[in-house]
Amino acid sequence: MSVGRPIPHDAAVLHVTGTARYVDDIPAPHDTLHLCFGLSDTACGEIVAMDLAAVRSAPGVVAVLAAEDLPNSADTSPSAHDEPLLATGRVHHMGQPLFLAIANSHLAARKAVRRASVEIREEPAILSIDDALAADSRFEEGPRFYRKGDANRAIAAAPHRLEGRIEIGGQEHFYLEGQAALALPQEGGDMVVHTSSQHPTEIQHKVADALGLPMAAVRVEVRRMGGGFGGKESQANALAVACAVAARVTGRPCRMRYDRDDDMVITGKRHDFRIDYRAGYDDDGRIRGIEFRQFARCGWSQDLSLPVADRAMLHADNAYLLDDVTIESHRLKTNTQSATAFRGFGGPQGMVGIERVMDEIAHALGCDPVKVRRANYYADAAPGDAAPAPAPLDDGRDAPADTHADLTSRGTTETRGQPAPPPSGAQTTPYHMAVEDFVLGEMTERLVESADYRGRREQVRAWNAGNEILKRGLALTPVKFGISFTLTHLNQAGALVHVYQDGSVHLNHGGTEMGQGLFRKVSQVAAHRFGVPLERIRITATDTGKVPNTSATAASSGSDLNGMAVKAACDTIRDRIARLIAERHQARAADVRFGGDRVHVGGESYGWEEAVRLAYENRVSLSATGFYKTPKLEWDRIAGRGRPFFYFAQGVAATEVVIDTLTGENRILRTDILHDCGASLNPAVDMGQIEGGFVQGAGWLTTEELVWTDKGRLATHAPSTYKIPACSDRPRVSNVSLWDGRNREDTIYRSKAVGEPPLMLAISVLMALSDACAACGPHYPALDAPATPERVLAAVRRAREGAR
Amino acid sequence: MYAFDIKRPRSVEEAVAALADGEAQALGGGQTLIPTLRQRLADPGTLVSLSGIAELKYVRMEGDVLRIGGGTTHAQVAREAAAHYPALASLAGRIGDPAVRNRGTIGGSLANNDPSACYPAGALGSNATVVTGAREIAADDFFQGLFETALDEGEIVTEVRFPVPEAARYEKFIQPASRFALVAVFVARFAGGVRVAVTGASESGVFRWAEAEAALAADFTPEVVRGLTVQAEGMIGDLHGSAEYRAHLVGVITRRAVEGALA
Repeated sequence: MSVGRPIPHDAAVLHVTGTARYVDDIPAPHDTLHLCFGLSDTACGEIVAMDLAAVRSAPGVVAVLAAEDLPNSADTSPSAHDEPLLATGRVHHMGQPLFLAIANSHLAARKAVRRASVEIREEPAILSIDDALAADSRFEEGPRFYRKGDANRAIAAAPHRLEGRIEIGGQEHFYLEGQAALALPQEGGDMVVHTSSQHPTEIQHKVADALGLPMAAVRVEVRRMGGGFGGKESQANALAVACAVAARVTGRPCRMRYDRDDDMVITGKRHDFRIDYRAGYDDDGRIRGIEFRQFARCGWSQDLSLPVADRAMLHADNAYLLDDVTIESHRLKTNTQSATAFRGFGGPQGMVGIERVMDEIAHALGCDPVKVRRANYYADAAPGDAAPAPAPLDDGRDAPADTHADLTSRGTTETRGQPAPPPSGAQTTPYHMAVEDFVLGEMTERLVESADYRGRREQVRAWNAGNEILKRGLALTPVKFGISFTLTHLNQAGALVHVYQDGSVHLNHGGTEMGQGLFRKVSQVAAHRFGVPLERIRITATDTGKVPNTSATAASSGSDLNGMAVKAACDTIRDRIARLIAERHQARAADVRFGGDRVHVGGESYGWEEAVRLAYENRVSLSATGFYKTPKLEWDRIAGRGRPFFYFAQGVAATEVVIDTLTGENRILRTDILHDCGASLNPAVDMGQIEGGFVQGAGWLTTEELVWTDKGRLATHAPSTYKIPACSDRPRVSNVSLWDGRNREDTIYRSKAVGEPPLMLAISVLMALSDACAACGPHYPALDAPATPERVLAAVRRAREGAR
Repeated sequence: MYAFDIKRPRSVEEAVAALADGEAQALGGGQTLIPTLRQRLADPGTLVSLSGIAELKYVRMEGDVLRIGGGTTHAQVAREAAAHYPALASLAGRIGDPAVRNRGTIGGSLANNDPSACYPAGALGSNATVVTGAREIAADDFFQGLFETALDEGEIVTEVRFPVPEAARYEKFIQPASRFALVAVFVARFAGGVRVAVTGASESGVFRWAEAEAALAADFTPEVVRGLTVQAEGMIGDLHGSAEYRAHLVGVITRRAVEGALA
């Protein structure tokens, strides 16, 4: 039994011994060239002149390309084709690539680009949310709305009302391995690309487009990434396309990696948000009506901003049943890096919005925030309630016809027909999806007990009464995160499995490994289906030549989709072997069992290797593909209606912090987490995701502060100015448990996705800090994120003196 | 980095001679100068490395004065000054990280006078004397603003003399990414008075907070600082903190330093 066991990451030994091979470690042919972009030093303006003669004559330089030198117009956008590889006439953010130096060494290329003489006629840049609103600079024609009930009327009729605003900062991905790519030209113009990307098919598509080739002429391989976090979903395109184009122009292999400072200046980050809210509520804290206005700063290109902003709207309810609600979303275009996917994909920002409202209502009523949250929770599903099997999918839908369209990108904005309405009487989200698998009521009860929330609430109160300078805070926040790509057709996956004559198994699927343990989980599935030990399963690099038309490894979907596809492929081969063995024993194929590295039939059994040899000798195919598509999904993103998610992953965290009211310095003292992974495929890997997600989320909401100058220069472009959490920043007491449950939907072994949801457990840190600030005075502290010491100190002042 | 020549004198005398050429620049531990060169913000022509001069590396008590050679690393000061002047040793032991402390020198740090550096606060707060080949300069005269000191071209810090106070403490509020001081304060109580030196905060580099000194001279307790404020005007406001925040921190960190000195 390999499924459900806490087996270490398959590459753990390679990681810690430094022998895991990343793109930049791949041995390249001796004549490989190295690339570096020359970058814009201006946020907005027109390129008046670009003299690259000195770059061309720099030592080691083989070629220099500007936009007009490209064989085809190369675009790197995952959505609106609005990201030329190299700037064409205008610049849209400081750090935008202007030209490409191709040289004999990485250093020579880096040195050469500094020699360019570029004249840009600077124009006023749109940098902030206020700038963008003033200029009406936005994506889409206007704001998007999701509506349920009549928020305005419900707010007006409610016994109490409040309104406010929270500003939420962005976040740099800070993957340990920076962006990297390597292109190897093949005969006949074909191209092989190694890339550090979460989305090999997108790389294949963009490279093919840039070279004027069909996708079949381009093969993309990804063995692993040193962290992705969403930052390698679209942001890896530029390097791969640059390498491929340079390889085409020079006829030589080309590789590229961003220096860390360049990486931070060029690539997009998590969207920063402003959320305005207006709520009406009753004496129990139950929300009667609520309106959110979300403002997302999207940067200069559309990128994945539309689905990110959608997902922020889709999580504006978090765990709370809202009957009368309006969510309004503005996607603002600014002269900054193109904000992109980041673990949670807008969900965390939407969730922070409603958690702020819960916190403020509890403060206004002077009652325990957990009570207010519980009063607003969706109702728990009946225990043991399994979901009905899905209806057969209608496959007769029309596909979009545009051949340039990036069909496998989340940036595609195709919409589908009319989703069916939810069952009558069901509790629904603001986007009219029935919530059928809610378990946070029971989970919260469990965590309240295990974390001794009530006892510690009293201890915190007592501490704060006796201490003037150090104040403690405690908060418990839930997470309900929708699992599935909101672009319905992306919810598909393929796998390719070969069994060789010696019984070894070659496993391949469309998902990419970025450290999250996907390959380990999927190999457990394969070993389980064949009933063989894990050692027989060989995990291999993601390769567009083996499994085509893959979706990005994103939206937490990796194990759900690829696990199912691998299961299908394994079962095809298994069933063939079973039929053969059954025939030999006049048994039924269904009675053949696979387990313990043997194949059992009646009272007899064959060793796995023997069974495989028999199959080969009897001319049974030992290779199969597998395919999976998530059922039940129907979503109209414009109307904000349907079922965008297969199910919800849930979790709850209680965090205690302490602040220094003189300086705003703060520490996390303790965190208790109860998280729902369904029936975990691998509890060790899942615990790693939960702990890592929490710490990354805590970094986002506390120390990680992105600062742009008034000219649009990113001032925090290195670890010397941008502070990610280190080991010493983790909570000293951390109790993480897995909820003992099964997914009521039919997922791979009834597990649940775990990639993104735990990040949002860290909202408990922000709310605990708010609680500590609130202990300093009578007013609501209205703490923004990231809660740096200076912001905490300002919130302490507001608590004491009221808003100024 | 621009090309440069390097000279490695074995004595102060040789170093002074090497520095007589106007293009030459002294190189201590290189913890600031080397990054500056890498950024091409300096083009010295010749670097005169002081790291090979054994006579500049020492920590010793003479009478009631602690003498530290200009070429002594922070790590050596942290180790060897602990018995004589714990507050200064503690300051040295908290500069940067081990790599910085094993390379960086006291002379280099003082001569550079970075507005966020630790040693200028230690020297000014201790009323130290900076000794060069040519003269002795009181700390009050030595620091002359951002990256500016009383040193002439080619003048080398050969020794720093620290009177040892009755009680002292260096308290530092770090910017968490770089671990440089956002605001740091060195407080020292002598028989004749109290000195309070603040680094990291001001646009004109390390400074003495006279108001706090006067109050603490009368009553060396954290409480007397409580009512005192520093003007935000003239404080550094940057991506890591506003001028107002830094001004506020000066008071808080000074109180912490006094508490530490009393502990």
